[in-house]
Amino acid sequence: MNATDPIVQVHELTKIFPTTEGDEKRAADGVSFNVRPGEIYGLLGPNGAGKTTTLRMIAGLLTPTSGRALLAGYDPRLDRETAKRQLGYLTASTGLYQRLTPRELLNYFGELIGMDRVARLRRIDELIEWLDMKAFSDLRCGGLSTGQKQRTNIARALMGDPPILIMDEPTLGLDVLTNRVVLDFIRAEGARGKAIILSTHYLDDAEVICNRFGLIHDGRIVGEGDLPTLREQTGNRRLSEIFLALCGESEHVLEGGEGVVR
Amino acid sequence: MGRYSRIWTVYKKELIETLRDRRTLMAMVFVPIVLYPVLMLVLVQALSSEKGRQEQREYRVVVPTETQKQWLEGVLANEDAEVIAWQKQLEALHGSDAAETANTREQLRTRLGSAQIKIAVADDPSHLWDLVRSGLFHAAVITREIEAQADAASDGNRLVQILYSDTSPLSEVVSGQLNRILSNEAERQIRTRVESLAGSLDVLTPVITSNLSTTSPDRQFAKALALIVPFLLVTMTVTGAMYPAIDLTAGERERGTLETLAVSPVPTGQIVAGKFGVIVTIAMLTTTLNLASMTAVIHYGGIGDIIAAGNAAATDLDAAAAEEALLENPAQPGSMEWLQKDHLQRRQRLEMEKAGKATFVAEAVPVVLLSMIPFAVLFGGVMLAVCSFARTFKEAQNYMMPVMMSAIVPAMVVSYMPTIELQGVLTVIPVANIVILMRELFLGNFEASTVALCLISTCFYAAAAVVTAARIYGNESVLFSDVGSYKTLLQRKFLRPATAPSASFAILLLAVLFPINFYVQSSLGDPMAGWQGLAKPVVVTQLLLFAATPIFLAWYMKLDLVNTFSLRMPKLIHLALAIVMGLAVVPVSLMMSNNVRAWFGSEQSMAQFEALAKGLEDAPVLAMILVFAVLPGICEEFAFRGFLQAGLRKSMAPLQAALVVGLVFGIYHIQVIKIPTTALLGVVLAIVCWRTRSLWPGVIVHICNNGLALVAQWLSEKRKDHRLADLYGLSDLTITPAAGITLRDSIFLAIFLGALALIWITSKPEAALQSASSSPLPAAQ
Repeated sequence: MNATDPIVQVHELTKIFPTTEGDEKRAADGVSFNVRPGEIYGLLGPNGAGKTTTLRMIAGLLTPTSGRALLAGYDPRLDRETAKRQLGYLTASTGLYQRLTPRELLNYFGELIGMDRVARLRRIDELIEWLDMKAFSDLRCGGLSTGQKQRTNIARALMGDPPILIMDEPTLGLDVLTNRVVLDFIRAEGARGKAIILSTHYLDDAEVICNRFGLIHDGRIVGEGDLPTLREQTGNRRLSEIFLALCGESEHVLEGGEGVVR
Repeated sequence: MGRYSRIWTVYKKELIETLRDRRTLMAMVFVPIVLYPVLMLVLVQALSSEKGRQEQREYRVVVPTETQKQWLEGVLANEDAEVIAWQKQLEALHGSDAAETANTREQLRTRLGSAQIKIAVADDPSHLWDLVRSGLFHAAVITREIEAQADAASDGNRLVQILYSDTSPLSEVVSGQLNRILSNEAERQIRTRVESLAGSLDVLTPVITSNLSTTSPDRQFAKALALIVPFLLVTMTVTGAMYPAIDLTAGERERGTLETLAVSPVPTGQIVAGKFGVIVTIAMLTTTLNLASMTAVIHYGGIGDIIAAGNAAATDLDAAAAEEALLENPAQPGSMEWLQKDHLQRRQRLEMEKAGKATFVAEAVPVVLLSMIPFAVLFGGVMLAVCSFARTFKEAQNYMMPVMMSAIVPAMVVSYMPTIELQGVLTVIPVANIVILMRELFLGNFEASTVALCLISTCFYAAAAVVTAARIYGNESVLFSDVGSYKTLLQRKFLRPATAPSASFAILLLAVLFPINFYVQSSLGDPMAGWQGLAKPVVVTQLLLFAATPIFLAWYMKLDLVNTFSLRMPKLIHLALAIVMGLAVVPVSLMMSNNVRAWFGSEQSMAQFEALAKGLEDAPVLAMILVFAVLPGICEEFAFRGFLQAGLRKSMAPLQAALVVGLVFGIYHIQVIKIPTTALLGVVLAIVCWRTRSLWPGVIVHICNNGLALVAQWLSEKRKDHRLADLYGLSDLTITPAAGITLRDSIFLAIFLGALALIWITSKPEAALQSASSSPLPAAQ
């Protein structure tokens, strides 16, 4: 595979949920995009736009109603194991095992991936070093602070050094300092050639670290491209303005602080 | 990385995590090791102190007059004198063996001494009723002399009335004691009277009995334990399994770690297998600790003595009665010798018993633990499956309640019914079979084959539960709570059309129908009511269970009816071949069932067949054929070759599905002896349905199988035309069937299999069903 070929291929992903009112809800509607190695792709949109559903379909956690996603050429529904081996997955809701220490937790996921003992130990030391986890690597996860938990979670996602990272709100609820650490880490991983799909509410952060953007609204991609392209398309400078322009209606947007879409 | 090493990885991690959990440790360690012995000891203390209190308690008895008081006191004094005399005699007999005399005294002590009964005279005799009723006195005794043939040697006869209160335990005790004392008094008087009339008491003891149990003392102890221990162990195992089952499924989802597991490259089945292992391990650890603690308490804490005393009391009472009879009669030296010999044996047994208790417990513990494993496996699986449905810890706890009841209630029922034996259907009834098995293991009477059947069936249920758990666990609507509620899984308007039911749903339906079918068959069937009595359950089960239920569900779930029930028109050639098979099927299945019966040496089904034939004698032939051939031929095909097979085909190869359909079909015919034949027939019918892509050829074969035997019998009995019966070999049915194949049978078998082969060759079954993920989209809204 050529280095510039897309490693994540998302083609016409659609997910229809039945609702309790008896209707159908199109959580994602024909979402398509590609991500190349080294690229940080920002999948942005308001709440309920379908970001999480799309990411879950890419990760193989949800079965698409139609369309498909390929991870390094593998379909996560058909070649489950091979496809999932390509993937590090991190969301705001992913939890940790309360009664394991970060070190044990990483070891567990390393074993599940199938890493041998030596490789596991080396990788764990590496990650603890990188993410500055030394101080708490032998404490039980249940007692860690939010920031420490998120760092452990990131380490967990990176344990197998997968070529693709899916990060759904990785900085939600973090303090400024940890936020910095996480963003720096994403940037560094991108520079190391990983394909990263980042979904976030924090448009300012996204503006800084993402190479390319997919703006999603009501389950549909309403705009795609790098910042210059999007600026040209809408005539707006800031990502939040671009976003408002593309979504057309502002009813869902801008209730929170500056640059935060809720 | 291999499948097993990954299951091991999951197992290891979950076990560590579970063992680090305070709540698990609480249920697993604290309860058995600390709380349990403490409770037991408190119970022992309470029991013995209650006993002591009883001995010191005073009972107030009221009588109407001073004379009656004197009479009653006289009776009590007689009783006391007799008790003391017995004690002296016994001591003389046994020497000063402390243990032995203590044991006998234990018996004597249950009689109230005169010191304990305080007798008062009522101020107003008409108030006796109210005095007892109000609780001021525990009992009232009113005596009246009856004018009878009283002579010089005896008092006159008396009528004694005892007033007591049912609601006061003390009153019940004292009235019981008074009854006993009075009947002893009566006996004394009888003895005096007889002696004065006959000159000797020998006439009173025409037969002297003495009972000696041949069961070894440890088994007797086991009998006492067998009644309570299985129940306790079942409760403990279930409690032990419950917490990890909830924590490893619903708990994991609630904490958000399930998502991380779901994205890791491990098949759900392996994750579930590892978790299942942990649940079983914890359940077994809990059981082991409980058993160890129980053993220790029984051994050191005195509970054992209480149980053993109760046990010994049962045997001692008989012996004591014999002794009493003999001691009354020291004139017979021979009987005294016999008594002493008897006594010697009894003492040996008591000594052995002391040692036996210890060895028995040591021997029983491993056996009991082994028998707990299948139970733990079953409930581990069931709990895992049930908890997999729950999204939160609390939800799971609610689901656990019925599961726990389904374990504890059968255990309780079995505990209260010590005569239930492990045989027949009971060997395969989940939970009940294990509880009974445990009791039988305790008592040491069991057959290897029954035990094997018990264990195999339990493991089968457990496997089904684990497979179900694995299916549910990975399901997306369970994985994410925001994907839609269960309502959307159940209400028709949310259901999406499908070609066939899912395999697990089809199996589930038949699993639910099974006990209902069993119940209807046994409750509605009335062989005494002639052919209508036999027909009623058949009509009900066939129409309601096998036809209406699957068809309704298929409609409700928006399934493709034509595909689910294979309602396509078959080719003419297949219809013709099915008729050929149908004409040959009766002798073939008869041959098979004869061989099976010969193999098992069973005559049971024969007797039933005759009963059936008798019941049907006066039935109109058309109605008979309709009820016993046409109806089952159509309805059962709808359920088994239709709904079940279509479901299984979704996740199994065609032949594999046919085998399972046959097996389930066989099991539905309840009697073990019928299972092999019906299962084989079921497989053949499933193959016919698969190859021809139509239900109807199978319906024809099925109707012929059920109907032609009836027709032949009817012809030979009513029309005296024996040709068809002779042709099929129905005329020479014998009580003891012979194994082997006759020439006629092999010809029919050849025809049957030949037609089947022709169907196979001339058919082109549908291409394998496409997997659900790539099935075409239903039209958009």
